[in-house]
Amino acid sequence: MLGLLRARRGAVILFGLAAVVPLAVRDAYFLDSLVLILLWGALSAAWNVAGGYAGQVSIGHASFFGIGAYSAALMVTRFGRGPWLGMLVGVVLSIGAGFIIGFLSNRLKGPYFALSTIAFSQVLLIGVSRWRGFTSGAEGIPVPFRPGFLTLGLGHVGWVYMALAMALICFAVEVYLERSRVGYQLAGVREDEDAAEALGIPTRRLKVVAVTLSAALTSVCGSLWAQYIGFVDPTYVFSVDLSVRFALNTIIGGMGTALGPFLGSILITSLETYLRATFSGVKAGFTGIYLIIYGTALILVVRFVPEGLAGIAARLRVRRAHA
Amino acid sequence: MDPATGLGPAQIGVLVPLAVATILLGGIYALISVGLTLIFGIMRVVNFAHGEFLMLGMYLAFWAYFVFTVDPYFVVVVAIPLFFVVGLVVYGLVMRGVIRASHNVQIFTTVGLSTVLQNVALVAWSGDFRFVRPWHLSTVVRAGATTFNLTQVVASVIAVTLTLALVAFMKWTHAGRVMRATAQDRDAATLMGIDTDRVYRLSFAIGIAAVGAAGVLVAPLYSVYPTAGLQFVLISYVVVVLGGLGDMLGAMLGSLIVAAVEVAGSYLFGAAWKEIFYFLLFILVLLFRPAGLFGQRGAETLGV
Repeated sequence: MLGLLRARRGAVILFGLAAVVPLAVRDAYFLDSLVLILLWGALSAAWNVAGGYAGQVSIGHASFFGIGAYSAALMVTRFGRGPWLGMLVGVVLSIGAGFIIGFLSNRLKGPYFALSTIAFSQVLLIGVSRWRGFTSGAEGIPVPFRPGFLTLGLGHVGWVYMALAMALICFAVEVYLERSRVGYQLAGVREDEDAAEALGIPTRRLKVVAVTLSAALTSVCGSLWAQYIGFVDPTYVFSVDLSVRFALNTIIGGMGTALGPFLGSILITSLETYLRATFSGVKAGFTGIYLIIYGTALILVVRFVPEGLAGIAARLRVRRAHA
Repeated sequence: MDPATGLGPAQIGVLVPLAVATILLGGIYALISVGLTLIFGIMRVVNFAHGEFLMLGMYLAFWAYFVFTVDPYFVVVVAIPLFFVVGLVVYGLVMRGVIRASHNVQIFTTVGLSTVLQNVALVAWSGDFRFVRPWHLSTVVRAGATTFNLTQVVASVIAVTLTLALVAFMKWTHAGRVMRATAQDRDAATLMGIDTDRVYRLSFAIGIAAVGAAGVLVAPLYSVYPTAGLQFVLISYVVVVLGGLGDMLGAMLGSLIVAAVEVAGSYLFGAAWKEIFYFLLFILVLLFRPAGLFGQRGAETLGV
């Protein structure tokens, strides 16, 4: 256990800071940024389970996020039950959807798989936008704030710990995938599927499991997000931009590394918060400029530092060890 | 009227305009998709930013009409060389460095490009919906019982002409043959002394020129806004996968099929649900015929 903590020094410092800071800092703006960093980090880590560890790159993960967000929001507004039950329903639905996507990944590779995941999220987007009677359609659903743990009506400090708990769960899944037999088998699937198959690894089943697990985690984050933000609308929660964001954080931080998604989230979320503060008041200016930087970063990172921040750190460490 | 009751004169009266609508729509979809399939067939890259070049074409038509009152039909003449150059520049700046990279790198490069272009448009021209309303939009052409506006008819005719010209170019010119050779086997083409980098540059520029021209043509028919490309690019993915990625004639057939699904879907269930049908079609085709309805040569190199 101690060895594990030492090997994961970076993560211990990062999550430790996130746990301690709310005890000292009570600035709502800062705590809000922290919650978002942790939530986006957890979402990216969930994407990383399928995209990074299993090599199944999806640009439709917003599907699962949206399923989670809508399940929680609808459970509260339409059925008058708690968001936790909605979260559970979301997970069940996402496992079903993840199973379909995972099955697709057995038939389709590379760009074809990416295309099919986009198509899947678009089908959900159109379906939810048009089914006005149940989902309120394109105008979205405001989620009422009811104080208490069971209704997920928490203060800023409470949300930091909630997001931290979620981040730690996703991180733990990633660490498990790095150290376990299943993790090594997945790496085999990612690097050379035929060779893995020849070694007797059940590649098809593993891919379905990885995509489904990733879908379930994404869905839980989506439910939390809906309760935290207090509003869901289909054009945002099912958007391609959102799916790309999960991937972008992970790519910048380092695909297939446990801490990478969180490093990417720190960078991108801070950038967003900073630009939002700088360009507040300019209506189209903020999102536009933020997304231009974000798109350019994506192009540059995949080309010049495909291993991401975590990869650079690892390289530096190796160099230091040799020196 | 219930279309399932049989084929009386009244039903034929319905089918004719539906067929005409399918052909008009299919022609435009063909020009949008043919560039995507060309780029994919030769470079083996799915251009996720394809729709954004269409959007830029729409804005070109809008500004030309708004500032100089130039009709989109004439703007097409300028758009083709202009977007050809845009294609060359984007190839040099962005695509060239990733042509031999992994699928993931290529996917995220074009996705990033798409995000950048959308938001450049947002910052430069705001998110407002713009409209191009030339005189011919209100000129009516009769086909049986229903009517079409002249814009739709001419746009479709120009689109089909350009698509056929591109198919002829690929088939009968030296450059076209070189491009097809590269598509078939890039290593063999290199051994034959073909400069593949030039081939990629040329095919990317031609693909962008085609979709830019298509953007100009569709501008009067749809509203113009920064993410306008998304709806079309999703259609063209369906078209191109149906026809077999990289197959130009397949793309033309695929366009007709998608247009038919869209027209029939809107007629039977209302326009609001039409997208659902072609996405379901898309997922079914991906599942059962991922190499396209007509099969595809070289599909094994793509891992399908």
